[in-house]
Amino acid sequence: MIAAKNTSWLAGIPAGWKFGTLLAVSISLYLISSWQVLLALLILSAATLASARVDFKQLRMPLLTLVVILGVVLILLGVQTGWLNAAISVLRLLAMCLFAYSVSLTTSFDAMLELFQNVASPLRVLGANPAQIALALSMAIRFIPELKRVYLEVREAQHARGLGNNPLAVSVPLVIRSLKIADETAEALDARGYDSAPAPRNQR
Amino acid sequence: MKLPQIRLENVTVRYDDRDVLTNLTLSLDEQRIGIIGANGAGKSTLSRLLNGLVLPTSGTVRVGELTTAKHSKQIRRDVGFVFQNPANQIIMPLVAEDIAFGLKNLGLGKQERQFRVAETLSQLNIMHLAERESHTLSGGEQQMVALAAVIAMQPRTIVFDEPTTMLDLKNRLAFQREIARLDQRAIVVTHDLEILEDFDRVLVVTDGGIRFDGAPDQAIAHYRQWSHA
Repeated sequence: MIAAKNTSWLAGIPAGWKFGTLLAVSISLYLISSWQVLLALLILSAATLASARVDFKQLRMPLLTLVVILGVVLILLGVQTGWLNAAISVLRLLAMCLFAYSVSLTTSFDAMLELFQNVASPLRVLGANPAQIALALSMAIRFIPELKRVYLEVREAQHARGLGNNPLAVSVPLVIRSLKIADETAEALDARGYDSAPAPRNQR
Repeated sequence: MKLPQIRLENVTVRYDDRDVLTNLTLSLDEQRIGIIGANGAGKSTLSRLLNGLVLPTSGTVRVGELTTAKHSKQIRRDVGFVFQNPANQIIMPLVAEDIAFGLKNLGLGKQERQFRVAETLSQLNIMHLAERESHTLSGGEQQMVALAAVIAMQPRTIVFDEPTTMLDLKNRLAFQREIARLDQRAIVVTHDLEILEDFDRVLVVTDGGIRFDGAPDQAIAHYRQWSHA
């Protein structure tokens, strides 16, 4: 899920403050063991998300998935460690996820990448290039759906040729097409003026 | 807009001991130039020479006073490139951020980037795509976004490598209209001969050389004749 243009009060807060607060809140949640306080924080997290003017159609699937996963966690922990402990863990995780959604869905991807570059800037001492790592991250997110589409096309083609679910028959063309995409994308990066050398700080 | 002359001087490109282009010398001065020819004739290589994506094995490619061998980074700012498959050209997950990507590479500040993104989206009538996730775009929308990303960088020349190959008729016509509206010089490699009707000049490339160079109707007639032979 990527944040579309958001106009809520949360969108106006700098990304660094939001993610810093999220980190602090997440750590604090693990220090709290009272289910009543965690329930209150869960309500607060839901209210925060509700105030974030997020498109709830976009959130429906992730929330459903989250509820299913946490349902499994509740049952497993309930059987192993007792139902109160399980409820506390699930309240904690749910509150943390809702706070995280509130932050990530009100922060543009560009702002997240800039924050990442700033946080990772000490890595320059070790010879790493945070801008390149940030670009790799963004491209991974960008191209996951593209690779999924290629995978489905290849599988469809193999089915049409009667090869069924043969992993080798799918993986070889998938790898070859992925390499072709990588090659074309590298060429596009060059054409669009991307310079792999670290950008001066004032240009970020 | 003053357009820089693009000049190829005795250019040869060789891959694996095979000459893809052989001893080409030509000047590109017109505003609308088409490049046609059979698959494997060297059209794409020729188009990639113009902004330094491919460097000549021998000879020189000049854009204004600069040569691609020495100044490819500067030249790429002035010669934009739209690829055949826009899906692989769109780098960022969101449309507006993708258009801003090239501007960031130019070193522009955030405000200037935002202004140019809005201006370009508006110019191409695709403001509604600004916040869309790139992978959810249709082929036609992707090609428009790829064009927007190049236009936003304000190059004086835009090279298109078979830009309409993956488009349906409606999107092809829309894209053709956008190319016609451009102030920039457009150099279009294509198999879509209709696009070229209003162009100033068309080059027919075969077997690594320019077989014909002239007005669109004559060039297309020559190409048809050659294809039937």
